[in-house]
Amino acid sequence: MSNYKEELLKRLSDGVLYMEDEDVIEASKEYVVSGYPILDGIMQGLVDGMNQASKLYEEEEYFVTDILLCSDAMYEGLDILRPHLPQSESEKIRPKGVIGVVEGDTHDIGKNLVKIMLETAGFDMIDLGRDVPLNEFVEIAKKEKVSFVCMSTLMTTTMDGMGKVVELLRDAGIREDVKVVIGGGPISKKFADNIGADGYSSNAVEAVNLLKNLLNIA
Amino acid sequence: MLSPKDRLSKVLKREKTDRPPCICPGGMMNMVITEASKDGEAKLPEAHTDEKLMVDLAVKINEKGCFENYGLPFCMTVEVESLGAKIDMGSDIYEPHVIEYPINSVGDWRDIPKMDFEEGRVKVVTNAIKMLKKKDNNIPIVGNLTGPISVASSVVEPVSFYKGLRKQNEESHKFLEFISDQLTIFAQKQIESGVDIIVISDPSGTGEILGPKLFEEFTVKYINRIIDNLKDKNIPIAVHICGQMKSVYNQVNKIKSDVLSFDSMVSIEDSRKHLGDRLLMGNVSTYVLEYGNPEKVSQMTAKCIKDGSNIISPACGLGMRSPIENIRAMMKSVDKESKI
Repeated sequence: MSNYKEELLKRLSDGVLYMEDEDVIEASKEYVVSGYPILDGIMQGLVDGMNQASKLYEEEEYFVTDILLCSDAMYEGLDILRPHLPQSESEKIRPKGVIGVVEGDTHDIGKNLVKIMLETAGFDMIDLGRDVPLNEFVEIAKKEKVSFVCMSTLMTTTMDGMGKVVELLRDAGIREDVKVVIGGGPISKKFADNIGADGYSSNAVEAVNLLKNLLNIA
Repeated sequence: MLSPKDRLSKVLKREKTDRPPCICPGGMMNMVITEASKDGEAKLPEAHTDEKLMVDLAVKINEKGCFENYGLPFCMTVEVESLGAKIDMGSDIYEPHVIEYPINSVGDWRDIPKMDFEEGRVKVVTNAIKMLKKKDNNIPIVGNLTGPISVASSVVEPVSFYKGLRKQNEESHKFLEFISDQLTIFAQKQIESGVDIIVISDPSGTGEILGPKLFEEFTVKYINRIIDNLKDKNIPIAVHICGQMKSVYNQVNKIKSDVLSFDSMVSIEDSRKHLGDRLLMGNVSTYVLEYGNPEKVSQMTAKCIKDGSNIISPACGLGMRSPIENIRAMMKSVDKESKI
């Protein structure tokens, strides 16, 4: 690998890891101009930096605010690199999921974190936002033919809505087509089992592995 | 026998009592359950906006044997509504919540209106407190304040807020000074209206989100700013923080409140170990209260007492579908423990 390419990849990765979005923007532009494979820039540059940040998050060196800033830098870079991906790459089908905070709750920090980690891992995410009416999860899941549904809530008062979504998916006849995973402060593995969800994750990094396992992705 | 008010007051003064008090503060720590409120007019969401219904509902919950206190308001959106956020009042199962943030960036904080204490739900709450105070019946009245970080991140879109703490650090501090000082006035109004204790709940200011450095720089600093500015009122103050504590115990211990309270994921055993002789409130799992049975609730309550909780209370807001028998089991268990 040429030294220059390596240098650019390191700048992309470090820029994400150290939350320097200006550096990431500059390095991304230079990377496009120099004509190296775009996918490498994304995977070995931006995503590599984000993965290192996730690792620090798991080790409790980084916290949620850090991850939000790292991901900002990553998305800035992706906005520049992605349009230059060859068609064969950009049209590649990625596992698609829908994610949102259930009705009655607006705490979406955890949900955003999970979305960031899943996007970093290559999933195609449809974000319904917060305070999402329960039937919207089902409608979008059906329309977009997603392979998984992620729900979160931070409040005991709203967690029952998740069980309702599982029921609604069943009523709509698509329960068998999607994996349902849930998380959030008051949620537990036991609660997930009780409502018939497929999985529970206590944090955003673990959510990636959980979904990879459920969907049989290496 | 001690009255509920005397018992709480003695615990706060670190004097001996027959048993710990069993309370649910209100505010973020919701105490209203549908089963206890369904008959009569005083129910949610109507009681969020009407002082008479608010009083009736607080009284009803107490009379049904759930908790030995009154606690107002029943949500954590009163302050932010007064600061310009749009609120959906929820239903008999959902709590009120913010649906529109008045500003997009911490830098725009000067556009936020000051709280008007003569209008809206802020006034409903202080009027309701005055009405409860008039009853003069030895039931302690808990006044609630949503903490500065939670209020700030309900006025600014939260992701933008959390990033702003770093990227617009100086403005963030000015913004939080403004918020804390507005909250201080609201607390003063509640105290003047007759509350016996103030509980500040700051669920969005957790160590897990902020990390130890920002937690101390913002959460601890601005909660303490409120506490310091209430000092001359001579009123006990409890602070509830959500999330894991293990990375921020040292910082939490710098909060100058009389009492600390945590989520059920932080056991009393663990917090007692880290926080020495601080007064602790809590923390019976609201999951067990909603989905468990009275027996399990009794066991958990007994464990909280044994591990050294000074004031028994739910660990978070109650799910409104929690069965009343589970809630009463807490109270019964506290009573029983005292006789052993």
